[in-house]
Amino acid sequence: MVEIVPRLLKDQLLKLAEANNRIDGRGKNQRRDVNLEVNVLTNAEGSAKVVWGGTIVYAGVKFEIRTPWPDRPTEGSLMCGAELRPVANLKYEPGPPSAESIELGRVVDRGIRESGCINMEELCIVPGEKVWGVMIDIHVMSDKGNIFDACALAGIAALKTAIVPAERFDVGEDHPLPVSKIPIMASYRKVGGRFVYDPCEEEELGGDERVHITLGDDGHVHSLQKGLKGTFSTSEFAEIFANANEQAKELREMVEEKVN
Amino acid sequence: MGGYGDVELIAKDGKRLDGRLADELRPITIEVGVLPAARGSCRMTWGLNIAEVAVYGPMEAHPRKIQRPDRAVLDVRYNMAPFSTSDRIRPGFNRRSREISKVTAEALESIVMVEMFPRSKIRVEIEILCAEAGTRCCGITAAAVALADAGIPMKDMLVSVAAGKINDVVVLDLDKAEDNYGQADLPVGIMPNTEEIAFLQMDGDLSPEEFDLAMKYNMKAAKEIHKLQMSALKSKYNGGVQ
Repeated sequence: MVEIVPRLLKDQLLKLAEANNRIDGRGKNQRRDVNLEVNVLTNAEGSAKVVWGGTIVYAGVKFEIRTPWPDRPTEGSLMCGAELRPVANLKYEPGPPSAESIELGRVVDRGIRESGCINMEELCIVPGEKVWGVMIDIHVMSDKGNIFDACALAGIAALKTAIVPAERFDVGEDHPLPVSKIPIMASYRKVGGRFVYDPCEEEELGGDERVHITLGDDGHVHSLQKGLKGTFSTSEFAEIFANANEQAKELREMVEEKVN
Repeated sequence: MGGYGDVELIAKDGKRLDGRLADELRPITIEVGVLPAARGSCRMTWGLNIAEVAVYGPMEAHPRKIQRPDRAVLDVRYNMAPFSTSDRIRPGFNRRSREISKVTAEALESIVMVEMFPRSKIRVEIEILCAEAGTRCCGITAAAVALADAGIPMKDMLVSVAAGKINDVVVLDLDKAEDNYGQADLPVGIMPNTEEIAFLQMDGDLSPEEFDLAMKYNMKAAKEIHKLQMSALKSKYNGGVQ
């Protein structure tokens, strides 16, 4: 992207921030409309579609049977990958996975994994021989800002609806995948000198550093990621942390309502 | 083709496993303008298949060696999402999707007025979210709608549809089981107003008479699907009512 556009946009965003306003008229911590649908893909064992403002993301869960790691003979595995394909935005180019798409997948993966929502021992079929490998694939179809939160939401919602396809693999009866927690991510962007929640496309283009925080059901932090150039103070972080708790509560209720 | 001609796919009353007659299509829905980041977009469901297509451009063609001084090039990608089939697909390079991308680009270049945009490229991104036989037809048909939604000038619409042969009977629009155990598959891309053919593939075994009947089924189905394409495009300017 040519530098001059973000420069002009930056000036505009700074003026808006001084007037306590945002480019799309939202409040500092106001979320865009979010719509979550589950069980939208027949060939995935669990699936979800998130429409988050103009951002659209699908997540699908697949299972495979694999041999466990020698040092953990009774544990299955969980893997979460995100793809930023060129379908999602003009700015994404075809080719091998970019650093951005790898970061996205790994940050979402950590939040889900570290929340302990899946007990890896429950994925064991025959100790030392057969365990389930659970794979969450996240597909970004339209990027209009804040794909991180949309991907994390789609990922956990898809996981909550997943049915273990034991019959197809001839290892017992199909059953719902036990998922005990709902980790939720909240992302903030420094725009015009202050942090705002749920940045839109223009705020990402003309903004500075970003912070992603994933919170578990009990309010504990499960993953953090600071991205891009820039620094922030501990008091700024405290404010983000407090707000993330409120955002997570609302979104967790949305997931609970949809999957039950 | 799987070539297992002895699996019973047509009942004695002439109906197929899902209850369709020989010349009947699976249910189809088409919507436009579904991806806000794209200039033009289309979502198509065809039986259990789901395809979503985004169109970007025309824009300057990069790298420069792909530029053509007298026309635009179409940069088409057909991709199946990892969760689109019963066995997960590993993301990344794949011979099948490369070939389908290539023939799709060539079909679309035949209908887009590429000479209006020299040195530029038009990006067409076809994502298959759920695959249940017939995804290339679904992708091409949806891509033509997405191009029109993006306001790209075109000579005609393009409809892709397949006929094939199961249990020695020519049928339209093979589903998953029919594709696996069928004897032939003939996907074509038809320009519905001129009835010209812009895309053609075939595998399996068809007699000249069977080929004629398969083409007849395809032609009739193309006119039906064309109506759905046009009503989806018009509904965008009519409050979304089809």
